[in-house]
Amino acid sequence: MPFFPPPSSQSPRALSPRTVGTILSIGLLTLPFATACKGGGSSGGSGGSGGGDIKIGVPVPLSGDSASAGQDIVAAAKVAADEVNKAGGVNGKKIQIVEADDACSAQQGAQAAQKLLNSKVVAVAGGYCSSAAVPAVPIFGRRNVPFVIDAATNPVLTETGKGKVFRTCGRDDKQGLFAAKFMTGELKAKRIAVLHDNTTYAKGLADAAADSVKQQGGGAQIVYNDALQPGQADYTPVLTKIASTKPDVLYFTGYFAEAGLLMKQRKQLGLKFALMGGDATTDKTVVKTAGSAAEGYMATTAPLAKDLPTASGFVTAYKTKTGADPGPFSVYEYDAVKVLAKAIGDAKSTKGEDITKALHAIKGYQGITGPLSFDDKGDRDGLLYITVSVKDGDFAGYKKLDAAGTTWVDAKSA
Amino acid sequence: MNEFVQYLVNGLTIGSFLALIALGYSMVYGVVRLINFAHGDIFMIGAFAGFSVLTTIGVTGGMALPAVLAAVVIGALTTGVVGTGIARVAYTPLLKAPQLSLFIAAIGVSLALQEGVKVLTDARFKSYPNALDGGQILGGSVRVTYGQLVLVVLAVVLMAGLWFFITRTVTGTAMRALAMDRDAARLQGINVERLILMTFFIGSVLAGAAGVMYGLYYTQISFGMGFLIGLRAFTAAVLGGIGNLPGTMAAGIFIGLVQSFSAGYISSRWTDVIIFALLIGVLALRPTGLFGERVVERA
Amino acid sequence: MNLDSRLLRYSGWPVLILLTAVVGQFLDDYALTVAASIIIYAILGLGINIVVGYAGLLDLGFAAFYAIGAYVSGLLILKQGWNFWLTLPVAIAAAAIAGLIIGYPTLRLRSDYLAIVTLGFGEIIRITVINLEVTGGPNGLTGIPPVTIAGREFVTPVDFFYLVLVFFVIVLAVTGLLARSRLAYAWRAVRSDDRAAEAVGVPTRRVKLLAYVLGAAVGAVAGPLNAAQLGTVDPSNFTFLTSLFVLLVIIIGGMGSRPGVVVGAVVVVALPEVLRTVQDYRGLVFALLLIAIILVRPQGVWPARFRPLTLPEVAPAAERRTAKGRLLEITGLSRRFGGVTAVEDLDLTLDAGEVISVIGPNGAGKTTAFNCITGMIVPSAGTVAVNGSDVAGQAPHRVAAAGLARTFQNIRLFGDMTVAENVLIGRFARDRGLLRRLGAADLEAVRRCLDFVGLSDAATRSASALSYGERRRLEIARALAADPAVILLDEPAAGANPTEKRSLMELIAQIRALGIAVVLIEHDVALVMSVSDRVTVLEYGRTIAAGPPADIQEDQRVIAAYLGVPDDPETDLVAEVLG
Repeated sequence: MPFFPPPSSQSPRALSPRTVGTILSIGLLTLPFATACKGGGSSGGSGGSGGGDIKIGVPVPLSGDSASAGQDIVAAAKVAADEVNKAGGVNGKKIQIVEADDACSAQQGAQAAQKLLNSKVVAVAGGYCSSAAVPAVPIFGRRNVPFVIDAATNPVLTETGKGKVFRTCGRDDKQGLFAAKFMTGELKAKRIAVLHDNTTYAKGLADAAADSVKQQGGGAQIVYNDALQPGQADYTPVLTKIASTKPDVLYFTGYFAEAGLLMKQRKQLGLKFALMGGDATTDKTVVKTAGSAAEGYMATTAPLAKDLPTASGFVTAYKTKTGADPGPFSVYEYDAVKVLAKAIGDAKSTKGEDITKALHAIKGYQGITGPLSFDDKGDRDGLLYITVSVKDGDFAGYKKLDAAGTTWVDAKSA
Repeated sequence: MNEFVQYLVNGLTIGSFLALIALGYSMVYGVVRLINFAHGDIFMIGAFAGFSVLTTIGVTGGMALPAVLAAVVIGALTTGVVGTGIARVAYTPLLKAPQLSLFIAAIGVSLALQEGVKVLTDARFKSYPNALDGGQILGGSVRVTYGQLVLVVLAVVLMAGLWFFITRTVTGTAMRALAMDRDAARLQGINVERLILMTFFIGSVLAGAAGVMYGLYYTQISFGMGFLIGLRAFTAAVLGGIGNLPGTMAAGIFIGLVQSFSAGYISSRWTDVIIFALLIGVLALRPTGLFGERVVERA
Repeated sequence: MNLDSRLLRYSGWPVLILLTAVVGQFLDDYALTVAASIIIYAILGLGINIVVGYAGLLDLGFAAFYAIGAYVSGLLILKQGWNFWLTLPVAIAAAAIAGLIIGYPTLRLRSDYLAIVTLGFGEIIRITVINLEVTGGPNGLTGIPPVTIAGREFVTPVDFFYLVLVFFVIVLAVTGLLARSRLAYAWRAVRSDDRAAEAVGVPTRRVKLLAYVLGAAVGAVAGPLNAAQLGTVDPSNFTFLTSLFVLLVIIIGGMGSRPGVVVGAVVVVALPEVLRTVQDYRGLVFALLLIAIILVRPQGVWPARFRPLTLPEVAPAAERRTAKGRLLEITGLSRRFGGVTAVEDLDLTLDAGEVISVIGPNGAGKTTAFNCITGMIVPSAGTVAVNGSDVAGQAPHRVAAAGLARTFQNIRLFGDMTVAENVLIGRFARDRGLLRRLGAADLEAVRRCLDFVGLSDAATRSASALSYGERRRLEIARALAADPAVILLDEPAAGANPTEKRSLMELIAQIRALGIAVVLIEHDVALVMSVSDRVTVLEYGRTIAAGPPADIQEDQRVIAAYLGVPDDPETDLVAEVLG
């Protein structure tokens, strides 16, 4: 039996299939025009309609594995927009949220950015995967549209942002430093193992933590720095190998799907070293996977909604709107939209350069995640990381550095 | 040394899953000359079927052996039905078509299954109740859990059952005949279409069982779990000689061991590269697999 | 060929390109980005079209070439400060080498194994670039500057769109040249039946490797372009899913069809965008669509169409071969399979203009002997001298080139090619050139051979549409196109009725008149005895008799082994046959 279908018959009588083919082809070739039409309009919106609205773009993954995170961020943006509009809008106009799917990939990220620009957004508040944000930065930059990032933590975004990229979240190198301090200071670990999953974010954070540990000195050393493979499910070989290096603590910088499995399998193997993770592991589902093995698990993170007394209003509003709890980055997106609204109001203009200038000028804006100011590069000044841990089946604040930055105190303390 | 034994134990566990799934690939290929791309996703369907069973029964924790077995049996049979249904709808119309069409249809089915489940689960993963927790068997620092033991035993039982079926029963023998020469089999009075569907059924049952067991053991299941493991299982099937059931089983265990030892002694970042390099190397030297094929190439 | 239809045929591409260029002026930035993606996928499609569409090598890891092109270009730009244009030839060369490395192990593999091996290579490349620091790890390469020509940056969607369009036109022209070369015909033969192609004289190994090399080179062009568009080389762009989408471009469009590539690229890129409105269900719809296409229209939306060969009206008559003397000398040919000796110590000699036959019961080793002689099996011992040079153990296409042509017992024609094209493939034994167009010599040979066997009227018909007798003659025509010194016919009269047998005998006589020596395997004893100068009889691999037909008919051993013993109930049949 032939493997391939034979090409269509060469006899001149075969007109019918040929005509079918031509018609089909012409039909399909009009597809791009369908996109052109759809691309012109905006997709989705809230808080107002019609011309004259101030459009804020939200590029996040809405398909693929991170879709749930993206949806949480869009929902938070809409909560913020609703609030602003209810209070009278900005400069007399309503804010409209325009979402776009970057599918956590570079190609889609670039396309999503173009799409948003097409929809005439004046500013952008969003981003989750650094790999999707990287190509978007110059695209927005060329049109001077400011980009306020709520969750993408790769340092390169603001380093190459030319001052037009801002963050309400932290950066991996800062989180890495914080993690190093915690492990050497509070946990008093001398032998530290670092594990990532070979993705951009996780490797960045792992390398940052490893470098910081080395710089800390004081006898602490990195005994292991390697990656596991996401999607594999069986990490017992990796854990066994890590155990053979006799670490005091293992810092896993990947995502929560793998974190839960690591917790469970670590207990299965009866391993003794402490396990902690980065801020992508703080999803409650790890408890479902690991069960009792999750108790005591620690993670570094920017404060979660529940750790922020100032965020309670937001949490209620979010729950009312969506019926679910906010995701870990929802509060940062909320602040991103709100701070943009403020900047637009301050600038009294919707021109990109004016908004950017106004953003840089903001000092001590009271966001629900804390006081907000941006440094020259656009990074958030003085964002405090904290550590959380699993207690009674949920994440709760654990430890943070005091104001002086030297002693470890309970996270809930003022 | 302890590490070595631990890697061995883990490798055997992983290998059991791979062998079960690889058998399905092997059987179907032997009979229909189709690399059923969707087979790994059938495995995923099995995991979700078992999940539904367990949540319906309402297991909370601890070693609930009856519940476990119920989940495996019901989940596997359900998966068998689903797999057969898919074959009936998407594959049997293409049995007379060029092979490539069948291959592409399988790819389409694979995507459809993944996407369908993704929509149903909202792209989040689901967690099995911890029904197989606890228990340490081997002494010292090597850990074997009850769960592992149950699973390996189950896998062996299933494989032995398959072997018995293929070699000792009439239907099994008919399947082997079908694999050798479809037209001759038909002329002998074998109902080819029905037997092909039965092959899909058995292959899907095995994959479904593997899926439930996987869920029980690893707890986390998601719509994309079938792809990577499907690929590794397929590598095992080819390595062992497709259509050659004992060879496939051996190769499945082998790949599991490679996965474990490569993660332990090299780095799990390079596991796939090693596995694929092995595959390419073997095929370059022996184009019909390590243990040779049991399908007859028509001149 | 009148002017109108010619105009129609040649104007297709230019019109499309012009239309696209014009439309580009009216599209917004987003649509232009999508359009540029479509063109990039079309370039990839043209590349995989060579490997899968023409040569029939199912490549599931084509993204590897895309990746290599992108990374090589990106690394040279970032680390060595090279200009984009300088990196292009290096990137293409790197991918071509990769094509060689990937293609080599797959040469002996079956389609499905080949698919998985190529998939494996794709994954190996992807994982390697993620694991190595020098390629940027999972981050990939960032900060790649846009393409510049004479200081002008091509970075806005409009500029980039036109840049990519120009590249597409160039790639289109190159693949167009390829599609008209001798290599294209060789590919189609290899795709149809690679062992038959090899036996007939096509250097299949080289042809397959060229498919990988050229396909990779084309695919690699898309890499640097994409890198320049996004400013990054992101490893998640080169997953198995990407390879799958590139394959889908030609499956949807039609394999081997360049217009199909355009249609396929449009569907693969634009459809998910259009389906964004049903976001969550996008993947599902795509998958179901794929299944629907394969069930309903597997040849693709715009199936490949091949222009028939333009044969000369009249071909100069074949020259009588002036070769004299010993054309074929086989000594001590043996072949063992484990414990079984299929052929033992076979000796044959053949002079110009001679016809000898090899007969014997089934399983005597006749076809095995043929296979050993023609190189399809390596003999365990012995020499096969054609025109004095020993070809034993050489690849079949070399044996064919040495002057040995053959036909097959079960007729192995290239079913999806025309009669004329089948004969054309026979020419490869005489002329192994690949990267040029068909020459006058090729077309004249086809015409001559078709006339010789009486199939001139059927030249444009598909080979699979011929009657049984016509197929036999076509196979002989194909063998003759090689201008051989010796032709081996394996049971040419099998299944033929008496009329066909008679014309076959005439054909053999005519072949001999040309000075070509003939070796025949046959079961029709009457035919054998009347046509042959000498007969060799095999039984269980051993030669039990050899000599002129008259002697063989009387030989007791032969009668016992094959022709039948007088007490045999078949006696009357024997008398009838020999009478």
